[in-house]
Amino acid sequence: MIFEKILSLGKKEQEVTDNMREHIKLLNSACDLFRTALEKNDRNLMRNLIDLERESDSIRREIISKIYDGAFLPYLRPDLCRFVEIVDHVFDVLEDTAHYYLDGKIPEQIKNECIRIAYLNLKICEMLLITFEAMLKGDDLREKTLAIRIYEKKIDDIKFSLIKDIHKIPVSNFWEGKILSDFISSLTTISDIVEDASDYLQIINVSMK
Amino acid sequence: MKAQELMTTKIESVDADRTVYDAVEKMVDRRIRSLLVKFPEKDLNYGIITARDIVFKVLANGLNPNDVKVGKIASKPVACIDKNTAMNEVSSLMEQKKNARIFVCEGEKIIGVISLMDVMAGALIMRARGEHDF
Repeated sequence: MIFEKILSLGKKEQEVTDNMREHIKLLNSACDLFRTALEKNDRNLMRNLIDLERESDSIRREIISKIYDGAFLPYLRPDLCRFVEIVDHVFDVLEDTAHYYLDGKIPEQIKNECIRIAYLNLKICEMLLITFEAMLKGDDLREKTLAIRIYEKKIDDIKFSLIKDIHKIPVSNFWEGKILSDFISSLTTISDIVEDASDYLQIINVSMK
Repeated sequence: MKAQELMTTKIESVDADRTVYDAVEKMVDRRIRSLLVKFPEKDLNYGIITARDIVFKVLANGLNPNDVKVGKIASKPVACIDKNTAMNEVSSLMEQKKNARIFVCEGEKIIGVISLMDVMAGALIMRARGEHDF
């Protein structure tokens, strides 16, 4: 409710929240693109993620400059900026994951599990958008952040079994093993960062009550 | 929400001709409460053994788990569903069959398992999405 009042103060706030929504929607598209590219083994499609990451950077810069140009009360600005930076960090990690994918080769034994994590990453990002919309309405975020934690736990479970599985996969040289290890580590870190972002939404929500 | 969204694809199994002690060892090591039991006769010939089966059918009866074969106490056949089954249908099936786990099958192959905890998680996610199908 208080958030609604703050938003109603001016056009600048509305512009910032529109940009933040656009940023999270872009993240959803990026996760969907990653999953499709991984599923279809489409390296050209995977390269498009690099462009989406650049677009995310530009939205982030726009949001932060608008915030410090006077949108929102000063005490809210650092938390809002931090949230935007965390979302942007998800893009960075997603881009890194795409690079590891392009540099190496995913062994068939673990491909399905990787696709499953990519699918759950998309779902957790969709839930982040739902949580953001709920925050704008001034709703309680408890159920939404719990759903995010459930997805994160599910991905964590797959991660641990995946790590056990890759120990059994032979690699021909150090770099092949390193790239595979970095790919898995990066792919499974995305949900942790989204969870951090949702915690920040909760902090912003609470700080306004 | 479909079953495939929250199913666990890593399924631990034990051969039917192994002893209950082997099964217990595996369950303790992996910190799980059930194992898929593979029978040698046919491809699609699966059973399930749970901690409950081991306690009530073996230990509480004073039997030596080293002398009892897993296949003797496993429950079969296992309940199977398609990966596109809705979560509310999964929960109804669990209630109807009095099973805490339902396997997700693709043709003759088991590709995942859904537990009661997964159903609960699914229901919470659906609530968060504003879908109240349960």
